[in-house]
Formats: sequence, C-alpha cells, structure tokens
Amino acid sequence: MEFSEHIKTANVEDVELRQPLQPPSRGTLCITGHHLLFSDREADTSRHLLLLLRNIDAIEKSVENLLGYPGFLSKAGHSERMTGSSGTITIKCKDLRVLQFDIPGMEQCLNIAHSIETLSCLDNVSEMYPFFYRPTELRLQYHWGLLAPEQHYNQTKELHKRWRLSSVNQDYSVCSSYPPAVIVPKSISDETLKKAAKFRQGGRFPVLCYYHRKNGMVIMRSSQPLVGANRKRCKEDELLLQAVIDGSDKGYIIDTRSSQQVQQARMTGGGFESKSCYSGWKRLHKQMERGKALQESLIKLVEACGDESQNMDRWLSKLENSKWLSHVQTALSTAGLLAECVERDGHSALVHGYEGTDCSLLISTLAQLIMDPSCRTLEGFLSLLEREWIQAGHPFQQRCAHSAYSHTRLQQESPVFLLLLDCVWQLWRQFPLALGFSEALLLRLATEVYASDYGTFLCNSDQERCALGVKDATHCLFQALLKPTEREVYLNPLYELNQLAIWPSVHPQSLQLWRGFFLRWTQQARHLEEVQQEIRNMVNEWVRVTQSDATTIQ
Amino acid sequence: MASPVSAYNSNTLDSQISNTVRDSLKMEFLADVSLLPGEERITDKDLIYICPFSGAVKGKVLITNYRLYFKSSDADLPVTLDVPLGAISRVEKMGGASSRGENSYGLDITCKDMRNLRFALKQEGHSRRDIFEVIFRYAFPLSYSQHLFAYLTQEKFPENGWNVYKPVEEFRRQGLPNNKWRIAFINKNYSLCDTYPTVLAVPYKSKDEDLSRVAAFRSRGRIPVLSWIHRENQAVIVRCSQPLVGMSGKRNKDDERYLDLIREANDTTKKLTIYDARPNVNAVANKATGGGYEGDEYQNAELIFLDIQNIHVMRESLKKLKDIVYPNVEESHWLSSLESTHWLEHIKLVLSGAIQVADKVSNGNSVVVHCSDGWDRTAQLTSLAMLMLDSHYRTLRGFEVLIEKEWISFGHKFSSRIGHGDKNHADQDRSPIFVQFIDCVWQMTKQFPTAFEFNEHLLLTILDHLYSCRFGTFLYNCENARDQHDVRTKTVSLWSLVNSKADLYLNPFYTPDAGQVLYPVASMRHLELWVSYYIRWNPRIRQQQQSPVEQRYKELLALRDEYLKKLEQLQLSDSSSSFHLVNSSTSNTTSSTASTPSQQYTQLHTPL
Repeated sequence: MEFSEHIKTANVEDVELRQPLQPPSRGTLCITGHHLLFSDREADTSRHLLLLLRNIDAIEKSVENLLGYPGFLSKAGHSERMTGSSGTITIKCKDLRVLQFDIPGMEQCLNIAHSIETLSCLDNVSEMYPFFYRPTELRLQYHWGLLAPEQHYNQTKELHKRWRLSSVNQDYSVCSSYPPAVIVPKSISDETLKKAAKFRQGGRFPVLCYYHRKNGMVIMRSSQPLVGANRKRCKEDELLLQAVIDGSDKGYIIDTRSSQQVQQARMTGGGFESKSCYSGWKRLHKQMERGKALQESLIKLVEACGDESQNMDRWLSKLENSKWLSHVQTALSTAGLLAECVERDGHSALVHGYEGTDCSLLISTLAQLIMDPSCRTLEGFLSLLEREWIQAGHPFQQRCAHSAYSHTRLQQESPVFLLLLDCVWQLWRQFPLALGFSEALLLRLATEVYASDYGTFLCNSDQERCALGVKDATHCLFQALLKPTEREVYLNPLYELNQLAIWPSVHPQSLQLWRGFFLRWTQQARHLEEVQQEIRNMVNEWVRVTQSDATTIQ
Repeated sequence: MASPVSAYNSNTLDSQISNTVRDSLKMEFLADVSLLPGEERITDKDLIYICPFSGAVKGKVLITNYRLYFKSSDADLPVTLDVPLGAISRVEKMGGASSRGENSYGLDITCKDMRNLRFALKQEGHSRRDIFEVIFRYAFPLSYSQHLFAYLTQEKFPENGWNVYKPVEEFRRQGLPNNKWRIAFINKNYSLCDTYPTVLAVPYKSKDEDLSRVAAFRSRGRIPVLSWIHRENQAVIVRCSQPLVGMSGKRNKDDERYLDLIREANDTTKKLTIYDARPNVNAVANKATGGGYEGDEYQNAELIFLDIQNIHVMRESLKKLKDIVYPNVEESHWLSSLESTHWLEHIKLVLSGAIQVADKVSNGNSVVVHCSDGWDRTAQLTSLAMLMLDSHYRTLRGFEVLIEKEWISFGHKFSSRIGHGDKNHADQDRSPIFVQFIDCVWQMTKQFPTAFEFNEHLLLTILDHLYSCRFGTFLYNCENARDQHDVRTKTVSLWSLVNSKADLYLNPFYTPDAGQVLYPVASMRHLELWVSYYIRWNPRIRQQQQSPVEQRYKELLALRDEYLKKLEQLQLSDSSSSFHLVNSSTSNTTSSTASTPSQQYTQLHTPL
C-alpha cells in the first residue's frame, strides 16, 4: 500500500511522551498509515495512546545535536542506540490536545515528523481511515445513516396534504449539494424546480426542512437568488415561494447577511428577494459571520485558552476579543428570531445567506431544537444533524480540514459545525432538563467531525459520498452512537420531555465559555466530565433499583 | 424560595383584583400577602413603581414592620415586590416641589442586595413625607432606638437552630482536647478578648497567664487559637490578628514562644507557616498604626503574604459590579466591563489563598492565618480551607456549623459590615466580605457538583437573610454583644427555618466522600460570575426553567430516598446479596472514565 512510501521510520524505541493530565512516560512510538501509536514499556501500568493521524492539526519539531556538548559521551554510554542527537516533536491535535514526544536520534525524529506531516493531510477521501475501520461488532450491511429523506417524508404524515417528495435531483444534476430527494410544495412541478434551481446559487432552490406541527408553518432553506446587477427575475422561483405561503398572508425571509451585504452581493451575481417580486415575503437581515472570520475567532480563542503565561488578569478581555461568544450570541439570537417567526408569529420562513450551506443550516438546526421537542432526544438530535448537515450538504471536508492550530494556509476551513455544538451546549446549560442527550455527546461529535473512524463526516455532499462509496465502505457514526452500549453514555439522566419551546437567553451574561471543550485538557474540565458520568450512573442506579423487585436485582 | 421577589406570577389573582370595587381593594390586597407571625401592617399607599424593566407601574405599597410589599393594580402588568426592610441601605427623596417631569417626584431606595427601587408619588399634602418617615423608621430601627424585627417575630419552627453549633461538641468531633491541645475557658467573661468566643482551643503546654501576655501583643487581644485540626496528621489551622509590632519593631517573647508551642504541637511541622492575608505593602503600612507582621525574630516560622485586598477595596469592587448589572446589564463589552470590576480577581485571590492553606495543612504542616484584625480575610481563608479539608463542613449541618464557628463566634463584624437597622449607608465599615465568602463557596459547588450536600438555594437563602433581620443569626458583631442582647433567647435562628425544611436545600447528587480534600481551580478561566445571585433581579437573565429544575431535583431526591430505603430492606433481608448490590452500585459510580477521548482509540485497525 502506498502509505508505506511515506513511512521511513515506522518504530522508535525509548521515546518520551508528555501529554496533558498524565505523567510523562517512556516507550515505543509507531507510525502506521493512519495512526500514531505509543505504548509504554511498563508491564504493570501498560498505557497506550492511539491517535488518528487525521486528528493532528499541526506538528512542530526541534532537533538538537548533542555531540557538541562536552561530557555528553560519558552520559550516553547507557544507550547504544543513541546517535548523539535527539529531537522533540510537538503535536497539536484538532481536539485541542497537545502532545510532546522526545525522540532519540535526529534522523528518526525528522522521519517521524515527515511521515506525520504527510499522512495527516492526505486529501484523497478513499484513502482515509473510515474505509479501513472494521470493528468486529459492526457489519457494513447495516443501514448507513438514520433516516433517508424518503423515510422522513413518509413518517411525517401531516406533510402529505400540501407537500410532496420530489426526486428531481435523483442524479444530482439539478443541485450537486442536495440529496436525491427533497420536499417541495405539492403544486410545484419538477420542471418549475429545475428552472428555479438555475436562479439559485449552486442550484440550491428553496426546500422544506421543518414542518411545525402546532400550526402547519414551515422552515425552508436555500441559497441566495442570482439576481445580479441587472435585477434578473425568475418566475418559477417566485411561484415556488408563493406556493410555500399559499393561504397565509405572508412569510419571512431570514437573510443571514446585512442589508449592505446583500446589495453588494448583487454586484457579483447574487442578491436578494426584492419586495416587488416577492410581495408576500418580508425580509429580515441578521448579519452572521462565517468562513474566515469564524475560523480566526476560533484560533484566537484557542490561543487564549492555551496561554500558559499566567497573565490571567487579561483573560476576560482575551475571551471577549476572540469574539467567539458573540458569534454564539448572534447564532442563537438569529435562530430565536427564526423560531419566533414560526412559533409565535405563526408564519412560514425561508432562511438563506450566500451559498446556504453554513449559517442557514446552523440557524435552521437551532430553531428546530428551540421549537420541536422531538429533535431534543438523542435519536431526534442525531437525525436532525443528519438531515440538516449531512444530507443538506454542509461541506465538512472543506470546513474541517484543519482546526485552530494549523500552520498551513487556510482555505475553506470554518468551524460552523463546532459553533453549532457550542450553541447546543448553551441550550443544554440553560435548559438542563429539556435535552435528552449529554455534554459527552457534543464533545464526541466535536472530536469526530475533525477526525473519525466513521464515514459520516467525510466528503462535502451526498453526491460525493455516493461517488466514493462512503455509504457502502464505511461505518456510520450515528448508528454506532445509538448502539445500546454506547447510547447509555450519551443520555441526559435529568431529561424530561418538554412540549414547550425553549427560548434561550442570549444576553452576554447568560452565555458561557464551553469549558468542557475549550479547556478540555485541564484537570478541572476532566473532573466535571467525570462528575457528569457519575451523576448519570447514580440516577440510572436509582431508577434501576427502585423500579425492580428485590429479587430481580440479584 | 423565601427570596424577596416573586414577580410576574399569579395572573388569576390580578384579574380578581381588577374586578373588585376599589373599596374592597385593601382587603384583597392584603389577602395575598402572607404576613409572618408578629409582622404588623404600618401603612399602605397608592403610588407608582418605576420599574427599570417594565416602566412605570401603578399600584399599592404596603409597609409592615418587616417588609415593603408592592403590587401593581394593572392586571396586564403584574408586578410584585416583596422586600424585607432590612435589605434597605438608603432612602432618599427625589425631586422637589418644582419638579416638572413625569414621575420625577418620589422616593429612591437603595438596597443592599444589588438593586434599587424608585417610587413616584403625587405632589400633594404630606404624602411623601409620611411614607418616607415610615420606611426610614422601620428600615433603620436602631437609629431610632427601636427593636429589629428579629425581636418582634413570633415565628415558631419545629427545629431549634440555636442548637446546631456547640463549640465543645465541635471540638470533640475534631478529636479535641488531646495531649497537644486543650480547651481553655479563660475567655468565659470575654475578659481576654471581647470579640472572641468563650471556648478556645490552645496548645496544651500554654498556660492561661501566657495567653494573657500574648493577648497584649495581638491586635484587640485576638490571640492565635486553633480553628481546625487534621485528624490524621494532626496539623492545625490557627487564626489570630496581627502582632502589635509598630514602627519601632517591638518584640514579644511570649508571643514568639507561643507560636513555637503551636509549631511543636505537631510533630511534622518543621517550620510554622504564617499566612498574612494582606498584600505586603499593606502589612508594612499597618506598622504606622501599631500593627505589623511577624519578622525574623520568629524562628522556625515563615511568613507568606496572600495579597488579598482590604474591606474598602472589596466594597468598591462590588459597587462597580452593581453598576454594570443593575438596572441595565452592560451588554456591548460585558466581559471587559466585568474584568474592570476586579470582582472575580478578588474571588480568585481569596480562593487561591485558601487553597495554599489547605494544601499546607494536608501535607502535615501547621499554619497560622491572620490579616489585620483577623475577622474578615482571616475568616474567609480559614473557613474556605476547612471546607476544602473537612467533608463534614460540606454537609448541610456542617456548613451551618462552619458559619456559626468561623464567622459568627469568632466575631466577623456582621453588624458593622452589613449595617443592620442602621441609617448610615456611607459607613466605611460596611463591606461585602461575607457575600464574597458565599460566592467562593458557590464557585466550589460549581466545580464539585457532587461534593456538597446543600444546593444553591441555601446560599441564596443565607444571603437574603444576611440582610433581612428576620433571624438573629447574623446580628451583632460578636458573641459578647449577642449575649448582652439575648439573641439566642429572644430571636429565632436562620437554621431553624432551614433545618425545618431541609429538603429545599439539599443537592440530590451529593455523594459523601469522607476524607477527600477538594482543591478548586482558582484560575480566572474556571471562575464564573454568580449570575443567579448578582443579576437575579433582571427578568431577562433569570433562568426561565428554574422551577421545573427545582421540581425535578425534588423528584430525584425522592427517588434517591426510595433507593436508599430499598437498599436498606435488601440489607435486612439478605446480607450476602445486598453486599453484592452495594458493591455494584459503588463500582458503578466510581468507574467514570469510560468515554474519555484517549480511550476512544482502543482498537487498532490499520492495515499495513
């Protein structure tokens, strides 16, 4: 296999590992095609570290030649293998862990570093680890994913009166980032859809993503209309949107850009739905940062969190300057606005920004969590993520290629999904009973989205996933999380079904740094993680014992 | 919750009121205030509450000898205020006869609990003067030689909170007296030190005459005495005030020898560590007024300054915090505004000081803690260190004992710091030292959610009644004064209320862990502003789901009780099988590292 080309040194002995929360240990470092493996030599404590190379965001190396130091030779006597030089590799992971390896032998150190540099950044999807991961307890024949769009439609009976499942995109020719089946107004034909798609960036014509059972209103999402400088119109697009609010007095368009931004977008071929052409729709602008700005915010935050210089009196300013929490605030308040339109104001809404693959998904997901109790269970939440992120074509591969530590020139990276998880964590914190899943799930997802054994977060769209055989040749993370043994860990023991909408407070003092993630590799965060598990075990035990007879316990 | 405001509730009552005739309004109005036994109506009045959140609200205010109660008369805008008069720090008239603006004539009331109340009145007759005088008189009874409400209340509780703390019993629990430490009654008439309790634990080898000579060299006679002893290693926490070194650098052989006796009382203490809570410069400055710190003449001792600021700095810091959270929360630069109050930084310094104390002691090294007078920062440090070291203090009753012991009996000047019933709102002696301590405890409960038997509601209740004057617990500066005013016989203890309804204050997830030392992280990154206390009056900040959480916690407590009962039954019916059960449950609760990320990668599947 071609991985071996990149591995000049596969094994090094007598390596010292330093990692957070654990004492340094000495042992063997081994590089394989997808993993970094470290195991210490102590027979009794025997510790292993198995790290996906994909998890490595940045690697720094420093080598020094010790031959120049007098007295070195006498000290070196104890090790034959020592060649008189050594090196240190610092590995910064996408899960924010920082590891250090002291490697004897400069050449070996450089070889290892080179292998890691190359193998951690392979961008050929079909060479990635999920295609090789074959756990004994899972079979590939298992259904990949939780709920295909067809099943989702079939299960939502209320939809059937006014909405239909269209397979206009079954060969991905209408929209390359949409799934083969989408839900659209019944009165709109596939021909109309095809034309409307040509009027939307990337072909992302408005499709239904949420049906509010309480009042029959819906959330649609799309990309921006291609209005351009000469104010083009598209009859079919207007028809499609008119059909959405048919029978109602109006609908809301939540545009995740400012009103200046949408004017500027016209100059580059994009634009917005003008009042005159879309008379039934009222536009609301809420500017959300995305792309590079978001990535830079994450970098600043992670830098502040990792700053060990103890100049802590500036911590709160640094936190503020990173702007991460204000991105959280904007996302939650925009989602709140969207939910207000649908739940309180009783109207349907369309969400989009530019491409409709980032912020639109973020706020439609959050709005559904706010309004719909069925999204707040473990299964419900994972299905929501599958629908709104995997099937809806969030470009995971581009967005999550690197995280906060990377030195490579950033391209399409942006932590939109991480921002989503943070916002969900804020909801979880403000409504400790309303969500059926635990913080552990959010932490797991935050790790898996950057580096995973599973194929779920591979590729940028359903089309790519099919072309590369992801669904046939990899395992599905969501399925794995729902296995009886796993799901236990991810349930919230305090959960109680709450039929009401959960309106988050978005004031700065109501929002907190997600310490569980950003300070994860500190003793304190680890301790709190353990306490949460302890509480879960405790409650489970109470329920188990009180609900069973004394005889059955034994 | 016994907190002063239960706003925005009970729409049914409101509509009922609006439907009744005006004349009967008074009856209806009074009907939904449940007065305490011994509480009496003084006056009531129609006025306008200038609510910072919902604007001007018409309604009626009722003043009793305990509280100020306001209820809006507009059913569409249900606003209720229920403020103990003890929480009032200052009452001012705003606007004069020439005031023109709408609602510019009335009263401005500053409260001690992070809020202000403004009422507007009509400019006719003596209406404002009358209500102003009533509030003034009943909020500051001591300035009128009247009784605090704690002496008027007729409340009865099944439990008597005054029995919670018995000094000798508490010493016995710690294993005292022993062959190194004795219980001294030299202060039984408060003649050695008028701000100390009557019962003291001192080195076994020290004689009562020694104690008197040491008292002469310690500020206000507050000699070094034992607060806590480590059961295993016998290291102790000793508290005192500063030595009276003065500009001339006086020495006192008795004091030096006495500290060495303290050191000798523990076999493993080679050097006695003296923690001076103050910043170094402040300690030096104190020499000018006759105070100071232990110098090199104290052999076998090392002195460490903990850099905690004085009461004035803390007062100003909390004032700044109030400025950014009430009435409006500073939104645009919240975090840097918060930073500029330095409140969390002070919390950090207090906590990290206590951590150092606890760490020394758990390593078998005796320590002495003092500041200037040894009743503010010293109380914070010793009580927090004891909370970290001794899991007994983390139970509901143990926490009550801790407060009774380290704060109340050792003369934290509650009366001066809070100003109970006193009109001098600008008194420089006032300072939120105890609030800061409770905040530190709250930070610890956040970092160790299963280590404390009590919940946040207890901490809020304590702070509410720190001001309310409904209970005698926090009245007066020291035991001596409390004895003179018969506090224990004439007033009710706050712990009577708490212990009579202990369920309300329990943490369902409490897991007793005997002997474990809790070291909170005192880094700014891990500290939080206690929003549910400092910003609780802001309706937008209040957690919307608070009551369901409390409800759920009650259910969980009930479930836990049922679980424990069942366990007990099992143990009775079959000892062998129940043993198995207990085992499995404990192993369940401790095996808690199952999904840590480093262990997610357990199987290697890389083909090569």
